[in-house]
Amino acid sequence: MILSSRVRKLREQSLNAVEKLSPERALLVTQFYKSAEAEGLSAPVLRARAFEYILRNKRLFVGEGELIVGERGPAPKKTPTYPEISLHSVEDLDILDSREKVSFRVDPEVRDIYEKEIIPFWKGKSNRDRIMKLMTPEWLSAYGAGIFTEFQEQRAPGHTVLGYKMFNTGFVQVKEEIAAALKDLDWFNDTEAFEKQQELLAMDISCDAIIMYARRYSEELMRLASIEKDEERRQELVMMSDICRRVPAHAPETFHEMLQHYWFIHMGVITELNPWDSFNPGRLDQHLLRVYRREKELGTLSDESMHDLLGCFWVKFNNHPAPPKMGVTASESGTYTDFCLINLGGVKPDGTDAVNEMTYILLDVIKEMRILQPSSMVQISRKNPDLFVHKALGIISTGFGQPSCFNTEAIVQELLRQGKDIVDARNGGASGCVETGAFGTEAYWLTGYFNLTKVLELTLNNGFDSRTGKQVGLKTGYAADYPTFEDLMQAFRAQVTYFIDIKIRGNNVIMKTFAHFLPAPFLSLLVEDCIANGRDYNNGGARYNTTYIQGVGLGSITDILTSLRYNIYDTKRYTWKMLLEAVDADFKGYEQIQHDLIYDTPKYGNDDDYADQHAVAVFEIYYDAVNGRPDSRGGVHRINMLPTTSHVYFGSVTGATADGRNAFKPLSEGISPSQGADSQGPTAVIRSAAKIDHLKTGGTLLNQKFAPSFFSDEESYSCLTALIRSYFALEGHHVQFNVVSADTLRDAQKHPEQYRDLIVRVAGYSDYFNDLGEDLQNEIIMRTEHE
Amino acid sequence: MQGLIFSIKRYTVHDGPGIRVTVFMKGCPLSCWWCHNPEGILQEPESATRIDRVGDREFEVKEQAGKYYSSGQILEILERERIFIEESAGGVTFSGGEPLFQPAFLLESLRKCRGKGYHTAVDTSGYVDTKDLLSIIPHTDLFLYDLKHLDAGKHLLYTGVSNELIINNLKIIFDSGKDVMIRFPVIPGLNDDIEHLEKMRSFLSEYGPEKIRKLNLLPYHKTGSSKYSKFGIQYRMNGIEPPSPARMKELMDFFAETGIQVKTGG
Repeated sequence: MILSSRVRKLREQSLNAVEKLSPERALLVTQFYKSAEAEGLSAPVLRARAFEYILRNKRLFVGEGELIVGERGPAPKKTPTYPEISLHSVEDLDILDSREKVSFRVDPEVRDIYEKEIIPFWKGKSNRDRIMKLMTPEWLSAYGAGIFTEFQEQRAPGHTVLGYKMFNTGFVQVKEEIAAALKDLDWFNDTEAFEKQQELLAMDISCDAIIMYARRYSEELMRLASIEKDEERRQELVMMSDICRRVPAHAPETFHEMLQHYWFIHMGVITELNPWDSFNPGRLDQHLLRVYRREKELGTLSDESMHDLLGCFWVKFNNHPAPPKMGVTASESGTYTDFCLINLGGVKPDGTDAVNEMTYILLDVIKEMRILQPSSMVQISRKNPDLFVHKALGIISTGFGQPSCFNTEAIVQELLRQGKDIVDARNGGASGCVETGAFGTEAYWLTGYFNLTKVLELTLNNGFDSRTGKQVGLKTGYAADYPTFEDLMQAFRAQVTYFIDIKIRGNNVIMKTFAHFLPAPFLSLLVEDCIANGRDYNNGGARYNTTYIQGVGLGSITDILTSLRYNIYDTKRYTWKMLLEAVDADFKGYEQIQHDLIYDTPKYGNDDDYADQHAVAVFEIYYDAVNGRPDSRGGVHRINMLPTTSHVYFGSVTGATADGRNAFKPLSEGISPSQGADSQGPTAVIRSAAKIDHLKTGGTLLNQKFAPSFFSDEESYSCLTALIRSYFALEGHHVQFNVVSADTLRDAQKHPEQYRDLIVRVAGYSDYFNDLGEDLQNEIIMRTEHE
Repeated sequence: MQGLIFSIKRYTVHDGPGIRVTVFMKGCPLSCWWCHNPEGILQEPESATRIDRVGDREFEVKEQAGKYYSSGQILEILERERIFIEESAGGVTFSGGEPLFQPAFLLESLRKCRGKGYHTAVDTSGYVDTKDLLSIIPHTDLFLYDLKHLDAGKHLLYTGVSNELIINNLKIIFDSGKDVMIRFPVIPGLNDDIEHLEKMRSFLSEYGPEKIRKLNLLPYHKTGSSKYSKFGIQYRMNGIEPPSPARMKELMDFFAETGIQVKTGG
């Protein structure tokens, strides 16, 4: 595939567009909430009406040469805020405007609008204000100490992916389903009949709203066609206008319609609220196959126009940065990426090999577009051919960290273990970074990262946090009070359980705020069985509901525990007093001890059971504390192991540690070994990482850094394929490769202007190296490079 | 029985087919000017100095180059790697140094590894006792065989030994019908003149693809140079630059005429 001049231009425009704050949505939602129309409505109907109001009044945008239409803001990268979720103060806006990384330009007029119209109305009324008022003192102090983060503090629950049904259904048909459900309401026996009625009415309004939005585009395109001088473009505009009249009202029948249909749905989801993650077409190679084959048979789709359409579609994702994040939320996810993750490969609903001609076409698109968003991954099943893996490796070898590699069999087993139907499991995949989900049927919410290393730090200090000067944890004793290593582990278990209880109680309250005050009737249309249940996505309406708390820093905590067992309890090289003195001094004046902790103490990532047993022990303690605990919408809490960028934030609140790490430096990321700790090569890392029971999670994240020479020829691809397939045979969930040398990265730090397009793998996503904070850049440089 | 080994590497992908474990045995009868594993030459443990960095500080750590391993210990490592080896149709490679410098240990190790189903390769200089070579042939699936120079005098000059035994031993392996990959280190100025290249090509053509599964052209590289000072050995390659990728391409084309599969690198 060669990018056409149209796609090249749009891609370039998207890359060069400056991220800017747009007040449009905030203004519209404020106007609506202030209006008489908003009075006396139930929460779901209020939300549906607000959604309709925004779509009716927002500015339309049709870019030059675009084939797919719809922008969340008035133009590419013009990004709205969601004051009903989280209100930006004037100071916040100034920070967004001026901060060095992941900034959003705020024009003076925009600042003025916020100051005069948006802030006065929403002050004290956003859901963030509500949440902070509802949290217990224990929650607030743990949050302040950096024990955990809170995903729903600035964003709505998200983590859902469009499934098979809505790729093949129009909203006119959805309205019929709603009408049937309304008719079936049991007003005599069902105590929730009224709530269900209100929810269903809200859903119906949302259907009309999205159809109306597409109609507006249809009319606008017709208007543009009438003044277009170029005949070819005029015809295109007329065709696009026709398409916007057919979808999303009706099921898409052509390739072009399918992409536009999805994009209207995507627009709806990210306009209604700001779900984390944004939204995701999921198994795109499966969904597009029907229309692709049909059009190929009819001879109505040339390769050129298909590539043009896909290129235009790809650019759309890149036009939409994650909504601006502040404070801790910005630290835990410091990126413009909004975590849309396209899945390729895997298995079909009947369990057979799903790789098809569309899979290879999309791999080509990924390679040629080489763009931050959408992110992409390959689901590798043992049923998929090696050719598929080789093609993916060919793209990975170009060094931009995409696509990432996932184990289909693990995903399916993880979902089955959680009690899902086998077909729903096979239709699943991973979204966001590495999160397992049943696409189109599950609401799987991530609720925050959990700082395992910090909890261990508190365990050694009687629950007292020196940094904030507060008694944050349980008074389980001081380091020297633990006569055996087992005593220490028992105290650690008690602390983990204590903090997880605080987090889960908080989750159960926060969830209810969304159910009561911020239902999402449009999103509810997209996920089965919200309509049948008459319940909102934010209120347990989906077929499956799962709530995750993400464990962070497995490598770090394993190395620290291994060091304590080795140096204090087993070899007795140091007394607690000596070791803690060195740690408290951040190793100043204790460099020999620091050296021995780094270079002469066993480490996770080397297939050394002595060290790795502690990874398993921590994993099991964490799993026991979280797994199976009910949430307040009828779902269940589960664990996964991923950090986004929180390992840097969590490191910044954690003092020096017994693995020789200096105070406030980043922790290890995902389940990868600590930076520089693995010295036995990639197979040893994989053996270590596979010792934890991945199938008990909803996703784990393993990053590996390879010198480009590892990807030199066909034979090295075969070895890498075998490496991946072996990890997956050992039931590993995900592995990803950074193929860029440390020297290149160091040079990029020195001369950022020469590396503006350098993209690297961060954790479960890729990002521009220049957009990363310096500490994160250093952390990636320090990761072990297999050579 | 124990063998003296200076390194065991996992996930080696250039020492034979698939993912392999490579066992670097210490002690070598040759002393090639360009040797990039000088710690493999002496057949006894040596002390070496390692530099560890902690922030801006450097720590000098004395360590021992060369440790004794039993063949059982090698097998333990292989068992840890089994899944990767099986998935990639890989195996174990004994390299060095010169593995046949410790023939009894090598024989025992090969036997044990073969007994557990591992594909075995021996990376040899060929300058070994023919009787020892004959003893391991039945337990070896693949020979990685170095041909450094076909002129006996030059061979003596650059490696410290003559090449007659090496060529004779190679013929014995050819006769055994075992898989052979020839490794030709390309050392600019020392063995890449046109006369020698032509001589090498006609020698290889004599045996052709029936006997020689692959020809690996190994471009000279400098990564060994830093080790010399560490071991206090004189480095004789100053001023010699690695061959360019274009040159390697040229040489690949040059040897392609033999009909043997040619590859740059392992």
